[in-house]
Amino acid sequence: MTTDMRFRFASGPKKAFIVLMQVAMVSYILLILYPLFNMIMSSFKSTRDIMRFPFSLPDAFSFDNYLTVWVDKGFGLYFLNSFLYTAVSMAFVVLLGSMAAYGVSRYVFKASTLLYMLFLSGIMLPLKAAVIPLFQIVKGLGIMDNPLSVIMVFIAMGIPSTVFILSGFMKTIPLALEHAAKIDGCSDLRIYSQIVMPICMPAVALVSIYNAVPIWNEFFFPLVFLQNDKFKTLPVGLSSFIGQHSTKWDLLFTGLCIAIIPMLILYLFMSKYFIKGMTAGAVK
Amino acid sequence: MKKLLLTLMALVLLLSSLALPMSAEAVTEIQFWTWRPEDTNFYEKVIAQFEEANPTIKVTINAIKNTEYNTILSAALAGDSAPDVFMSRAYGGLQTFADSGYMLALDDLMPELKEFSEATRMGATSITDGKIYGVPAVSQTMLCFYNKKVYEELGLEVPKTWDQFIANLQACKDAGYDALANGTKEGWCCEFLFGGAGASQYSGNDFYNKVVAGETTFEDPIFVSAVNDMLSLTPFMPNMYEGVAYTDMQASFINEMSAHFVGGSYEAGYFKAENPELDFDIFPVPGKTEADPAYVSVYADMNFAIAASSKKQDAALAFVKFLATPEFGAQVVNELAMVSSIPGVDVSANPFIAKVLELQKNNTPYLFLVGFRYNQPTGSSLFQAAAQGMMAKQLTAEEVCKQVQEGIATYYVPFQK
Amino acid sequence: MRSKHMKKAAWIAFFVTPGLLVVFVFILMPLFMSMFNSLFGWNQLIRLDFSGLDNFRKLFGSYPYQERFTNALGNNVKWFVMTMVLQNLAGLLFGYVLSKRIAGSQVYRRIFFIPVLFSIVAVGFLWGLYLRPNGMVNALLGAAGLEQYQSAWLGNASTATYAIILVNIWRWLGFPSLVFMTAIDNVPAECTEAAYLDGANEWQLFTKVVFPLIIPSVTIITVLTIIGSLNVFEQVYTMAGLDGAPNYATDTIGTLFYRTAFGSVDSGAPEIGVGSAISVVIYLMTFAISLLSIGITRSKEVEL
Repeated sequence: MTTDMRFRFASGPKKAFIVLMQVAMVSYILLILYPLFNMIMSSFKSTRDIMRFPFSLPDAFSFDNYLTVWVDKGFGLYFLNSFLYTAVSMAFVVLLGSMAAYGVSRYVFKASTLLYMLFLSGIMLPLKAAVIPLFQIVKGLGIMDNPLSVIMVFIAMGIPSTVFILSGFMKTIPLALEHAAKIDGCSDLRIYSQIVMPICMPAVALVSIYNAVPIWNEFFFPLVFLQNDKFKTLPVGLSSFIGQHSTKWDLLFTGLCIAIIPMLILYLFMSKYFIKGMTAGAVK
Repeated sequence: MKKLLLTLMALVLLLSSLALPMSAEAVTEIQFWTWRPEDTNFYEKVIAQFEEANPTIKVTINAIKNTEYNTILSAALAGDSAPDVFMSRAYGGLQTFADSGYMLALDDLMPELKEFSEATRMGATSITDGKIYGVPAVSQTMLCFYNKKVYEELGLEVPKTWDQFIANLQACKDAGYDALANGTKEGWCCEFLFGGAGASQYSGNDFYNKVVAGETTFEDPIFVSAVNDMLSLTPFMPNMYEGVAYTDMQASFINEMSAHFVGGSYEAGYFKAENPELDFDIFPVPGKTEADPAYVSVYADMNFAIAASSKKQDAALAFVKFLATPEFGAQVVNELAMVSSIPGVDVSANPFIAKVLELQKNNTPYLFLVGFRYNQPTGSSLFQAAAQGMMAKQLTAEEVCKQVQEGIATYYVPFQK
Repeated sequence: MRSKHMKKAAWIAFFVTPGLLVVFVFILMPLFMSMFNSLFGWNQLIRLDFSGLDNFRKLFGSYPYQERFTNALGNNVKWFVMTMVLQNLAGLLFGYVLSKRIAGSQVYRRIFFIPVLFSIVAVGFLWGLYLRPNGMVNALLGAAGLEQYQSAWLGNASTATYAIILVNIWRWLGFPSLVFMTAIDNVPAECTEAAYLDGANEWQLFTKVVFPLIIPSVTIITVLTIIGSLNVFEQVYTMAGLDGAPNYATDTIGTLFYRTAFGSVDSGAPEIGVGSAISVVIYLMTFAISLLSIGITRSKEVEL
């Protein structure tokens, strides 16, 4: 087949294309790995050294910063909170979001586009903008200074894009599959959970990462709704290193390194779902 | 799947149960909000002192990042979930909350506020009803820091005229230093550069009083020439100074790569903490001749205020009164290295603050922040943006002044005659 | 027949209601409440009387809002164009070659997504460091003998917005790459094989067979880019501050809206009425343009 990318068997122009692509991709890889490396190295330096010699290796690889951040600054607790809130929120985002996507994309009814646009409206304005009414709503529901407030807001933030992306993927699944299942006597719920969702796994994985990262890194809403120290999250802790007239760069970078680890692990875990093999069998 | 869901729901319920309020005790708990996370340790110490003297009151501090503070405080005040005591901005920032009725007037509750100086009280007073809504905490002064070692090395002396100042800058530049650490990437850096270096050039109070009353405008030649003087500092600023941010400026001065830093007196604490060996001192940027007073721009910075909706006003008042005592003021001076607004504070232990107070004898209000930050577009925002354009050589000083004048004239009544 | 209809309606309600409820209570209601504020006059944070379209007149007619808005909107357009052209096209190309198993694709596909995992704050800080006058970017340019291109990047009015857009592209490039890769993977082999046997070359295979079948993912990426470009806020806020420094060169309607509605530390008091009016305009524009693009791409979709 002409569409494989093996260099040896390619024609002249194709060779040039492959080389160009490789150069672009390798450059991008370098541009990714360097900041990551830089961030990790900076976490071992003092604030002065970060500003003076941002690109050199640290003098010593002492874990003092990490100890300070984790123990003194209470990041152990914040990490746990972040983890809990993100996990709970994401579970519901995927559940409610995929259900809504299924409802909007697999049924044909008049209001489907309206509903679809209504969900999409959820990301058409930064929610930060509506913080005052949102504050009043949260207060009215009695969940102020309660992790539930933040979790509900996170779930609400994640659903729109989930509905949007998943309905796009769900549309590509042939209706024939559903008809066959119905003839076999499956209820709609089973079709959703046992046929459509497994096929959408790559999309679900994508959506999970796409939403988990902003939720994990979100600092504004936890800052607004959680005043009690025992509920605070990692990003809120990080924001305390940024003062009005001075910033603790060393602790900040350390905190950022700690913060990115779970996301890296989640991504490596999810990335196996992006593999072709999973979906090839489905059509059959 | 179902099991997972049930476990998650159980977790959520468990979490919310942790949030149940504690049973009522004899101790009153009040919330205190601040926008300075860098000072949390200091305030925790102060709170411990207060709690010892007042065992029935417990204070919980919540430090919110400076840039989000206004938004979050607005949401809390509007949502009836306000902290009992909070740090309030001065002048226009205070006006927003005072006019909205969120703050408690302190005129009758705290007669000791009458002892505070006129200038500091202005930052805590509402221009609508003339009542005072907060306890003034600190005042900030815009002046020039210099590296003493460099001055000794190059045989320089503290300048008494503008030309001497320029000559000193030139000497530092020739010796290979960045003469002036200041950059213009962030708008507010332009404003404080002007506040520090320009005040003497537009003759401080003479101009300020006239412009506030509408007797002159920002297009007055003396003001335009002061703005031009700021432009003339660009050869002494770091290479590609348009991209030098606030942190970079501080780092440059701390690491002794630059010889001068025009900025606020609040920098001293940070400089000392980051580089204890840094030998620095301050001088006011001088006027054209030795006879001209060397002005420093001064503004009142924070106020401690009580929320009008607070259910624990007595406890809040007790705490705020504590924050108005000279003992607290002395700690502000010694630990935070800031000039306390409280009268009768002993500054003998801190020579730096004593010197700042000396310089404050020739004080003039920090032009745009004090006089013109009450409506949009604020004088500050107009000046910051236009000055950035000027420092990037896109606008002339005349154009800057014109933009500022026209913008302010859209709402400032004395300009609309 | 009737009961089948009702059964269908019940199923739809079952699937859609929980999600809709959460989104409605925690996002749509606050957003609509805050947009509603645009119809009133305001004294600082206190709402006054109904004032109809006054705030909109102020926004489009008076200084400084009018020029700030046009300036900001222009920047948003720059965001959209650059992101569509650079990020999404590159994403499409990368997605294609990754799907076709180019050498190293196992490594690439794992690493490309890493920038997405950084927090926006981390991205802002790191790239802020590299784009300083004495930072890595200028150092590399100097080393490559390209000193004339050295610049104050974020401080230079002509390069600031572009620098921030490029950083944002750096961050998000992995996303369209993976979306397109997955979508192209999902094109059934039979379709491409059939066309190949009919004598199509690679270019024709792509344009006539593959591309039409991945239009849903193109829609997703396009609409997300449109919404993202009109809403961009965090990245600009972290790298250039709320006021669109230098001299409004990096201002976007998002930052304009936020500082008008909430005030900013330096530029002062909030103007909730006009701020809310800006948010209404942003919302209506985003809604209309998204609807339009969904409509256009839907008509091009090919059913399997």
